[in-house]
Amino acid sequence: MKRRDFISIFIKGTGAVIAAVMSIPVVLHSLTPNFTKEENDEWKPLGPVTNYPQGKITPALVKVKEETGSLSSKSVYVWRKSDQDFVVYSRSCTDLGCPLNYDSGSEWFFCPCHGGIFDKEGERRAGPPNKPMWRFKNRVREGILEIDIRSVPAMV
Amino acid sequence: MAEKRSPAELKESIKAWLKLRFNFRPIEKHIIYHRVAKHPWYYGDGATLLVLLITLLVTGMFMALTYSPSPETAYESVRQITSGNLMGSFVRGLHYWSAGIVVVVLIYHMFRHIILGGYLPPREGTWLVGVVIFFLMITTSLIGYTLRWDERSVYALGIALNIFYKIPWIGEEIVYFVQGGVDLGRATLSRLYAVHVLFVPFALFAAVGYHIYLVLTYGATTPLEKEYAPATADQQIELRDREKNDPKMGQPFFPGMISKSGTVAFVVFLFVAWLAYTQGPQELYPEANLTEISFPQEEWWFHWYSALAAYLPPAISDTFHWVFPIVVFLVLVLLPFVDRGDNRGAQRRPIAVITTLSLVVALLALTGLRLKSSWTAWPQTELPPLPKGEQVNGNVERGRHLFTKFGCFNCHSVGGQGYSFAPNLSGLDRRYSQDELKNFVSQPPEGVAMPAYKSRLTAEELDDIVAFVLVIQTFPKEY
Repeated sequence: MKRRDFISIFIKGTGAVIAAVMSIPVVLHSLTPNFTKEENDEWKPLGPVTNYPQGKITPALVKVKEETGSLSSKSVYVWRKSDQDFVVYSRSCTDLGCPLNYDSGSEWFFCPCHGGIFDKEGERRAGPPNKPMWRFKNRVREGILEIDIRSVPAMV
Repeated sequence: MAEKRSPAELKESIKAWLKLRFNFRPIEKHIIYHRVAKHPWYYGDGATLLVLLITLLVTGMFMALTYSPSPETAYESVRQITSGNLMGSFVRGLHYWSAGIVVVVLIYHMFRHIILGGYLPPREGTWLVGVVIFFLMITTSLIGYTLRWDERSVYALGIALNIFYKIPWIGEEIVYFVQGGVDLGRATLSRLYAVHVLFVPFALFAAVGYHIYLVLTYGATTPLEKEYAPATADQQIELRDREKNDPKMGQPFFPGMISKSGTVAFVVFLFVAWLAYTQGPQELYPEANLTEISFPQEEWWFHWYSALAAYLPPAISDTFHWVFPIVVFLVLVLLPFVDRGDNRGAQRRPIAVITTLSLVVALLALTGLRLKSSWTAWPQTELPPLPKGEQVNGNVERGRHLFTKFGCFNCHSVGGQGYSFAPNLSGLDRRYSQDELKNFVSQPPEGVAMPAYKSRLTAEELDDIVAFVLVIQTFPKEY
């Protein structure tokens, strides 16, 4: 091997080492959320079932985080189908996530962005959405309605 | 004893000293006084982009002195920038309007080069770096307004996240990655902030610097290129060398070329400053929250895309959103290699001209459609209006109240007022009979996006609503 070739390989090698030592840790560092996310359920209370009149869809607040700040709570829609049968909808439109607004007059949900409309059953009635509304898993414990806030996709 | 020098001599000697010690000569030779072919004024968009980019960098850096990238404080700090800081509204206004106008000029710049064949040899590299700049700018023009941390910010971010989620296999992982966790919070805002003020500006600095370096080397499409359609890079370089060194066809970059491009950039900058001064920045909506009823809207430079999103049939809406940017990227990257023609300039490139102009018309038309948003329906609390001086009583007036109560007015406009998701019910060309209306309201025909009211209205209520519709259908279409 000529001296010049050796030096050239040496320089490229040192460059590659520096690049690897720098880039691999920073990339992994930035990927932390993907490796440390918890897939566990996270049940949060929605208040006593008596808050929810039968047959009606009622907006409710769920505290998602202990820390304060304007994002600590989320609105959801609770539909008490029968005495013990609840459906808890996310407000997030299944098209692009805009906040659905329930109208008790027409019993439909309206999206402010691109014309998505869903009926009481959460089925699409108009607009671009391709999926029915997101539903949280729910359960009733000692008269308190609870939802698993991890039972819908992370951005919902 | 030193020789006494006149002030003019002194000035010259200082200049000579600076030139040598700071090595200005290559800069003068290759940039300031290098020869270029004469260009028309509408080539000034490049200089315009540079001026707007500098405006964005400077105003952005200074706003970062006040901005606080934490969900607890971000919104308040933007309020402080806007209404607390001296001239804060103007500074944020400059940033806001530069961001929007830069997208417009960027699209013009790109379309102009598609029309002229600006990516033909030897300028493929210049074009490809330009494509990178384009995507960086579009991305950061969205992230920028998520930093305001108002309602529009979270829903704009939500739209991006929902699009990522639709990507097969890795969608959910991308959501976690961008969000920095399982939900919106501190990590999200830190990430957005870092990308907006560090990653993208550094990448832009490098890419724009390289783009300009390539433009200084290979220039922009010249008049002779348009005339002779050089087929290879060598032919083009030879042709352009002849042209720029010709005393008639060429000129030095400074002052000839800069004065023309600079004037265009100056005019656009003044326009941006005027917008910032008269319109101010985008107003701050209520602080980011996921609890209030909200009616968010994207910034105006994304209106066209929003209209597109609204017209997508459900069968393709999920796929379209993530495929579209990839397709745009691939088309732009492949363009110089697919377009094998030698012709340059608008007059010899009819396909490019027609395609580009159609795209411009489409973008404007979609923006217009978004401003109307006739696909939107929204819960109403107001009563449907009556023509001036008109009065209704008894069951018709009751029907008018029920029309709002049962959400008819959410979708149907009356007298041209209200949302026009469903037909305007006044001034109907074809008048409906009482029975037809009753049947329609009770059970709308298959495929009509309207709730069936048969189990929800009493016979009286149905009569009243129908009575109201029977009256308004005789009113003028608009009042």
